[in-house]
Amino acid sequence: MPQDIRKWFLKPHDKDKGNGNASSPATPAPSNSEPVLGGQESSGRRKTSKYFATDKQKPKDEKETKEIPAKRKTKIDVDSSTKSPPSKKIHKVDDKDDDFVLPIENKTSVGATPSKKLKSGSGRGVAQKSIGTDEVDEDDVKNTESPLKSSGRGHGGRGASGAPAGGRGRGGGRGGFMNFGDRKDPPHKGEKEVPEGAPDCLAGLTFVISGTLDSLEREEAEDLIKRHGGRVTGSVSKKTNYLLCDEDIGGVKSSKARDLGTTFLTENGLFDMIRASNPAKAITEEESKKSAEKIATSLPKKSPQKTEVKSNSSATKVSRGSVKSGASPAKRKEQNICQSSLTWTEKYRPKVPNEIVGNQSLVNQLHNWLAHWNEQFLDAGTKRNGKKPHDASAKKAVLLSGSPGMGKTTSAKLVSHMLGFQAIEVNASDSRGKADAKIYKGIGGSNANSVKELVNNEALSANMDRSKYQKTVLIMDEVDGMSAGDRGGVADLIASIKISKIPIICICNDRYSQKLKSLVNYCLLLSFRKPTKQQIAKRLMQIANAEGLQVNEIALEELADRVNGDIRMAINQLQYMSLSMSVIKYDDIRQRLLSSAKDEDISPFAAVDKLFGFNGGKLRMDERIDLSMSDPDLVPLLIQENYINYRPSSAGKDEIKRMNLIARAAESIGDGDIVNVQIRRYRQWQLSQTSSVASCIIPAALLHGQRETLEQGERNFNRFGGWLGKNSTMGKNLRLLEDLHVHLLASRESNPGRDTLRLDYLTLLLKRLTDPLRMLPKDEAVKKVVEFMNVYSISQEDYDTIVEVSKFQGHANPLEGIPPAVKAALTRTYNEESKSRMVRAADLVQLPGKKKTTTKRIAAILEPPDDGVKEENEDKLAESEEENSSDTEDTVDTTNGEKLQSELRSLNSKGIGVQLELKGTENSSAKKKPAGRGKGASASADKKGGRGSGTAAKRKR
Amino acid sequence: MLWVDKYRPKTLDQVIVHEDIAQNLKKLVAEQDCPHLLFYGPPGSGKKTLIMALLRQIFGPGAEKVKVENKNWKIDAGSRTIDLELTTLSSANHVELSPSDVGFQDRYVVQEVIKEMAKNRPIDTKGKRGFKVLVLNDVDKLSREAQHSLRRTMEKYSAFCRLFLCCNSSSRVTEAIRSRCLNVRINAPTEEQIVNVLDLIGKKEGLELPSGFATRIAEKSNRSLRRAILLFETCRVQQYPFTSNQAIPPMDWEEYVAEIASDIMKEQSPKRLFQVRGKLYELLINCIPPDIVLKRLLYELLKRLDAELKHEVCHWAAYYEHKMRLGQKAIFHLEAFVAKFMSIYKGFLIATFG
Repeated sequence: MPQDIRKWFLKPHDKDKGNGNASSPATPAPSNSEPVLGGQESSGRRKTSKYFATDKQKPKDEKETKEIPAKRKTKIDVDSSTKSPPSKKIHKVDDKDDDFVLPIENKTSVGATPSKKLKSGSGRGVAQKSIGTDEVDEDDVKNTESPLKSSGRGHGGRGASGAPAGGRGRGGGRGGFMNFGDRKDPPHKGEKEVPEGAPDCLAGLTFVISGTLDSLEREEAEDLIKRHGGRVTGSVSKKTNYLLCDEDIGGVKSSKARDLGTTFLTENGLFDMIRASNPAKAITEEESKKSAEKIATSLPKKSPQKTEVKSNSSATKVSRGSVKSGASPAKRKEQNICQSSLTWTEKYRPKVPNEIVGNQSLVNQLHNWLAHWNEQFLDAGTKRNGKKPHDASAKKAVLLSGSPGMGKTTSAKLVSHMLGFQAIEVNASDSRGKADAKIYKGIGGSNANSVKELVNNEALSANMDRSKYQKTVLIMDEVDGMSAGDRGGVADLIASIKISKIPIICICNDRYSQKLKSLVNYCLLLSFRKPTKQQIAKRLMQIANAEGLQVNEIALEELADRVNGDIRMAINQLQYMSLSMSVIKYDDIRQRLLSSAKDEDISPFAAVDKLFGFNGGKLRMDERIDLSMSDPDLVPLLIQENYINYRPSSAGKDEIKRMNLIARAAESIGDGDIVNVQIRRYRQWQLSQTSSVASCIIPAALLHGQRETLEQGERNFNRFGGWLGKNSTMGKNLRLLEDLHVHLLASRESNPGRDTLRLDYLTLLLKRLTDPLRMLPKDEAVKKVVEFMNVYSISQEDYDTIVEVSKFQGHANPLEGIPPAVKAALTRTYNEESKSRMVRAADLVQLPGKKKTTTKRIAAILEPPDDGVKEENEDKLAESEEENSSDTEDTVDTTNGEKLQSELRSLNSKGIGVQLELKGTENSSAKKKPAGRGKGASASADKKGGRGSGTAAKRKR
Repeated sequence: MLWVDKYRPKTLDQVIVHEDIAQNLKKLVAEQDCPHLLFYGPPGSGKKTLIMALLRQIFGPGAEKVKVENKNWKIDAGSRTIDLELTTLSSANHVELSPSDVGFQDRYVVQEVIKEMAKNRPIDTKGKRGFKVLVLNDVDKLSREAQHSLRRTMEKYSAFCRLFLCCNSSSRVTEAIRSRCLNVRINAPTEEQIVNVLDLIGKKEGLELPSGFATRIAEKSNRSLRRAILLFETCRVQQYPFTSNQAIPPMDWEEYVAEIASDIMKEQSPKRLFQVRGKLYELLINCIPPDIVLKRLLYELLKRLDAELKHEVCHWAAYYEHKMRLGQKAIFHLEAFVAKFMSIYKGFLIATFG
């Protein structure tokens, strides 16, 4: 039971809540919460009910059925008259067989106790422990019985907002975790008791919430209304019954509401409404419901054969929404199995276009397009040449796009079916690669590419028994999924569209995908939009009715809302829930989809804001970990960048303490770095939580408070982590320095390490390179500097590197004071001399005809040039072996190489000391290889080789 | 050409600073065999110079004909292949490289390069050496793994290759390796020795040195001969003829670190910490190794600090240097040290002066 751990966390809060309630009896307690809770209970219970279907248990159950109704009534009386705190439901007892023994013993004493948790016991007697005083027992019970989390939530009927934290926050005062935008917290947040009323007491009413309410967060209020069957909309319209607002009467909503004559309702008014709904209905309903429960639950235990009886009872109680027939779903399931083992998504796939949810206009468009396809493209093109040329804008293919689950494939199939086309679907499971050239000629042999075949209508008609009226449409599903395996697929598809004699419908999820960029030009674009939640809910309702499932509309709307337009997912969820319950309530859906809703993306900035915020100290540990894990790479960097800016609320004005805290935080960030090394270098991923604790949570816990700016003009927002940029600059400079280092080494005059070069040599090098320019007359200075550069093989780039690396912020630029004319002269002289320079580092040679690769360092010297020729020949050989189709490419390559070689020779003859080592030539040939690789599609073995060397070549560059 | 390079001794006989060691080395290789060698000592004491001279002694002038090469290694490490690229300096008889440049994959380089050398053993016969020499720089920066992988190969292939290891501190070289080598400690030259060398260079260059000028340079050089010579030449570029009270220009980065130190001493606040962070970044961007920054910063701080606090501050500096080695993002640890120092110093100031 995965919730077990959770429950221990939950308990203290629950306890708090209990105590809080008890200590403030003055607050108007809701009369009771039985119906809602009961409904929930049973849902949980049903799964376990088989444990109880023992003979031993049965008689007891029946005894209870007699006792309970009476008891219940008295209890209700007691409740409403004394206003005792609402009963806690601790009922999940039955999850464990061990608990079992206990209740049975207690059962005898039940009569005497003002029983609280009847509904949970309902028919089982499990929870019917003797309960003397409410509070004490409650806690006891909780300890011993371990309520499931879900039960705790259901109870949160009072508070439960979207996040469990919301409900919990109410126990501990204002620990609000969800602060929505700028809206301030409700002034009396969590101070009022939220009533629970009849489940559909607000049915048919429409509410609009405006401004800050007195005690509820907006989410909570919405929940409350929806739970009771009301509808919440965003803006005021004629249909709005109430405008719920407490303070600020004056917004757009309220003025509009005034115009329309909408009733204004305060939070208290809402509570009253809900409360008022209750006692009236509650008692009667309760009773009957209880009896219904009794029957329903006790029956299945007796014998599985009694299903008939039970279904009867369920039929009668349907309208109440309180049916608890345990076996009925099972039975229904059996029926379903008999009918078909289809999933609901298949079973309720629309059969006619009208059934498609939403996007009707698109479906019509598709219909029209398909209906006129033949006359537009086939007839106009071939037979009636004289007729007016068809619309230039008309496209031969259509591209349906939209997020998953909206019915694109369904629409395509339906429409084509309706128009009498035979739909041939090609999706990601088929090979859709570029066709072999041969296949174009006919259908014989390879079946590698079905698309081409289909499109070649002659072939098709041959296959189709020449049935003239059997028209075909090709549905290319998931075209954006054409990837590695379907090489050239999109290009080929476009070619197919151009020659196609049948309509083609392409379907994709993201029409802005890079892969489809070329395709969209050839297609009529139809973008499916998300159906509204009402539309989805309507459809879901039909399905639910067909399956005999009890769901109210609000609940379905909620479901539709949560799935974000994905009908398929909504239906799947519905089917899944139907397996365990026959009545689905708003809270069930909330609960089920809570986890998915919580996975929302939270930006690293927002996470850092929260961690460092005033309430940062009140977050729970798992929330903090969640926040810091929202981006485990970026959040620590943001924290590191910004932690200095926060004035910790724990330190107040004490500057020493603040410095202390900063030092501790900095140390912890350092620890985080060390842990990170362990994670990345030695793959100790189990440490990732340690890392987030050390690098995010501890610094945030120490320093959370108000942010202040450190520099003038800085905006008071968290900066982006500077480390990334600085690190990449450092990497670049290191690389440049390494270039310089290699050149120095190649000059054979000096042999320093790289660090030594930077630490000791650089100051002097800079002086030797710049001081003469400043002090001596121009020509002399330039000559001197160039001489020096030549001795050490320092290139122009290296010159810049030396200057760049010696720049310090706040210090004078090392080049300051050098007149531009002198700089220009230096460049000129250096370049002039490069023709006769003895160069030892090969990358300093600029060869005509060869692209200069500045970033790439090439090895140097002392190898006779004929080595290069040999190497090149080998390369050529290898290449021609590998690449048989790209002869042209090859010849280009060889000529190029020869040119290079001849140029080399001519350079040599000019007396230039160029000695290119193998790498230079290897480089030039390597450059060609990747180009050749694209061609190598046919021979797979060759391809592999080609790719290997190609990537190697790339990496080298 | 720079004086450091111009007046570098090329043979063991020319060595004047560590004459005794040079002579010993000469005797060592005069007998046919030569053990693995580990040279260690502070920067600027002459380790590299000795190694080059020694190579020349062993292999003759051919050892000076080096070429620079970017070597690529493809290493098959189970599921993937690792591509490594490293600059090597090699002659017919020796290869020199700094494996620590490739980061924590250095162990592959070490393994591969030795095996490679063992494979193509020199076939030179005429009474020449039957082995090649592998010179590894910065052995103390090698990762643990690399050092471990070194120790077996050292023995296995000792018939074909000798290792000359070179590092600053032998304490970071594992015991296993130290015990397989002949350890040669190269001391930093004394100031007199430095003065002698400077005088010699001055004479050869035909310069007139005011009395005490060489001494001042030697003092500033931190007993690094290389730095002394470089400083000497810097002064020469800056101003000649020398005057006896000529200012000796500091290294650019040392100057910057000193600035940071005085910033820290002047004010201890989050704001100042933020500025210091910027300056530390500046140093790192300019390729100053972070451990050097920390060391220098400590040095500068200690100069300005009360005796009482020195011990504690040193402790913390060592602590954060250690963490920096374990970690990856040096700036975090540098900043943590600065924050710690500010916190201590601020507390101290308030406790003392109220």
